[in-house]
Amino acid sequence: MANEILIVDKDISHAKALGIYLERKKMNVYSAKNSDQIFKLFDKINIKIVLADPSKSDDKIISILKDIKKTYPEILIIIMSRPEDFDYCMAHLKDEAIHYLLKPVKSTALDMALKQAKSWIALNNKLRRYEKRLKVFKRTQNLFQQLFDEVPCYISVQDKDFRLTATNKKFKRDFGDEIGSHCYEVYKHRGSPCEKCPVSDTFEDALSHSTEEVVTSKSGKQYNVITWTAPIKNSLGQITQVMEMSTNITQIRQLQDHLTSLGLMIGSMSHGIKGMLTALDGGVYHLETGLANGDKKRTDRAFKQIKQMAGRMRKMVLEILYYAKSRELIYETIPIEKIAKKAAEDAMAIATKKGIRLKLNISPSLGTLQVDPNWIHASLVNILENAIDACTYDRSKEKHIVKFDVFEMSPDHICFIVKDNGMGMDQETREKMFTLFFTSKGSQGTGLGLFIANRVICQHGGTIEVDSEPGKGSCFKISLPRKKPEQFSNYDYPRKDITQNNAGESLEKTKDILSI
Amino acid sequence: MKKILMVDDDPDIIEYLTTLFEDNGFITFAAHNVKEAMETAKREIPDLITLDLEMPEEWGPRFYRKLSQEKNLKNIPVIVISGLSGSGQAIGKAIACLQKPFDRDELLKIVKETLR
Repeated sequence: MANEILIVDKDISHAKALGIYLERKKMNVYSAKNSDQIFKLFDKINIKIVLADPSKSDDKIISILKDIKKTYPEILIIIMSRPEDFDYCMAHLKDEAIHYLLKPVKSTALDMALKQAKSWIALNNKLRRYEKRLKVFKRTQNLFQQLFDEVPCYISVQDKDFRLTATNKKFKRDFGDEIGSHCYEVYKHRGSPCEKCPVSDTFEDALSHSTEEVVTSKSGKQYNVITWTAPIKNSLGQITQVMEMSTNITQIRQLQDHLTSLGLMIGSMSHGIKGMLTALDGGVYHLETGLANGDKKRTDRAFKQIKQMAGRMRKMVLEILYYAKSRELIYETIPIEKIAKKAAEDAMAIATKKGIRLKLNISPSLGTLQVDPNWIHASLVNILENAIDACTYDRSKEKHIVKFDVFEMSPDHICFIVKDNGMGMDQETREKMFTLFFTSKGSQGTGLGLFIANRVICQHGGTIEVDSEPGKGSCFKISLPRKKPEQFSNYDYPRKDITQNNAGESLEKTKDILSI
Repeated sequence: MKKILMVDDDPDIIEYLTTLFEDNGFITFAAHNVKEAMETAKREIPDLITLDLEMPEEWGPRFYRKLSQEKNLKNIPVIVISGLSGSGQAIGKAIACLQKPFDRDELLKIVKETLR
């Protein structure tokens, strides 16, 4: 209620007359003569309006009114003044008073001023209520924004075209502030929507859907995520947007994959080793009978077989050891030509068997390289074999060729290039080819070979760059420093970052499963 | 001289079996997949077949089914030589199932007894 009014007037008879008039108007009228009385009154009574005469002869009233407005900004001040003081009052109280009346005050003018004051009070009350609600709303909004941002998962809101309309802080950190872009561009670096899309399903049936995905961050890292969706509806109950929440389960998957793979590895290893042991038996038989009969040709063939089988087994065991346990690299300084030719020789055996031409261009004057020869050999062979497989799977061309070029890129770096005209890779395969257990060869691949090759090259301080086009072929450019890098020495598993591997190893189903 | 058809996709194992059988007086024919194996079997009508189970494209049991549908081939004895465990159940009518790596004396003994 805005009925409490204080009259400050030294003209007692005028004040009384006003008081009587205002009481008749059902107002609660109070009066005070000095500042002490005024402030005491304000402490007790919720005064809304002050009707005051600050005469020119007493400027105390002016300062009291200013103090009142300062202390109680919601109080409204109406000035009544004699004509000779009118300008003075206006000049001094222009920021404090809402209305000025001439003395003697006429009832009509007073009524109008009071009416205006009351409506101001009502408006102020309304504003205060809104302000209070706004504060609550802002607090709630901040809380929700904080929740949205701090939730330990990626949240995005998408429209029907899969365009991002909102993303949380974690999403922005790993995938960029990509409002307006398509979900599939940001998450998968694809040019078209994914075949199975939980957001699309939710738009259709308004239910929550869940999938497991591999997504690629803005820095190129691969994350395994579990995704849930929820519909966002408008006031008519129509789905206008869908919220997608993705939890990063990469580390769990890595551990799980590692454990699963150990089991798988034992299975495939035993199968592969059985084949190799049989072939080794064959070599031993050839050796025995060759020696017994003095058949040099057979003995030579036996040696070659045994050597080849020992090499295959060694490679398999090394890969298992590399994967199963962190290993320290054993650096040696060896001629580049030797390591390149040895890898080419191993790959040649497979290429010949599969009818693929392997063209070598290895310069004899490349000097030496400080590496772990076992691991670099295994990596190069993996990449070469992968190129051979890419050719074997390609049915679009009649003739296939794998080129292996080795040259000096700079005085400190050696470059190995493995180029094939096989089936090539699409963008998704290119991005995931170094991911552990990713293979594009179905049951024929293990997803270990290029994963290890990439790791080994990185561990040596080198890099692998890949260019590939579906239907045309791939080019792997491996760059290695001549000298052992200081900062790369050891790797542990499970690793914190996403491990990577290649589009894959193939090889016959029954053998070499682990050795690509 | 008796003829043996060896079916295995691993050329190293084919080479081993070839020498082993030829050293023991048999004539050998090699096939690296089911298609080749069927062609060779029809052409040569071998006296015995050694069969690997897991091969690219078509597996050993399918070859055996195809073989069983041919009148003049269905009674050829088959020895399974595989790295798969439990391979004995894959081809019920096989005269023997050997696990890789097999014992060559055992294999020769079975072959010689069968082809006596």
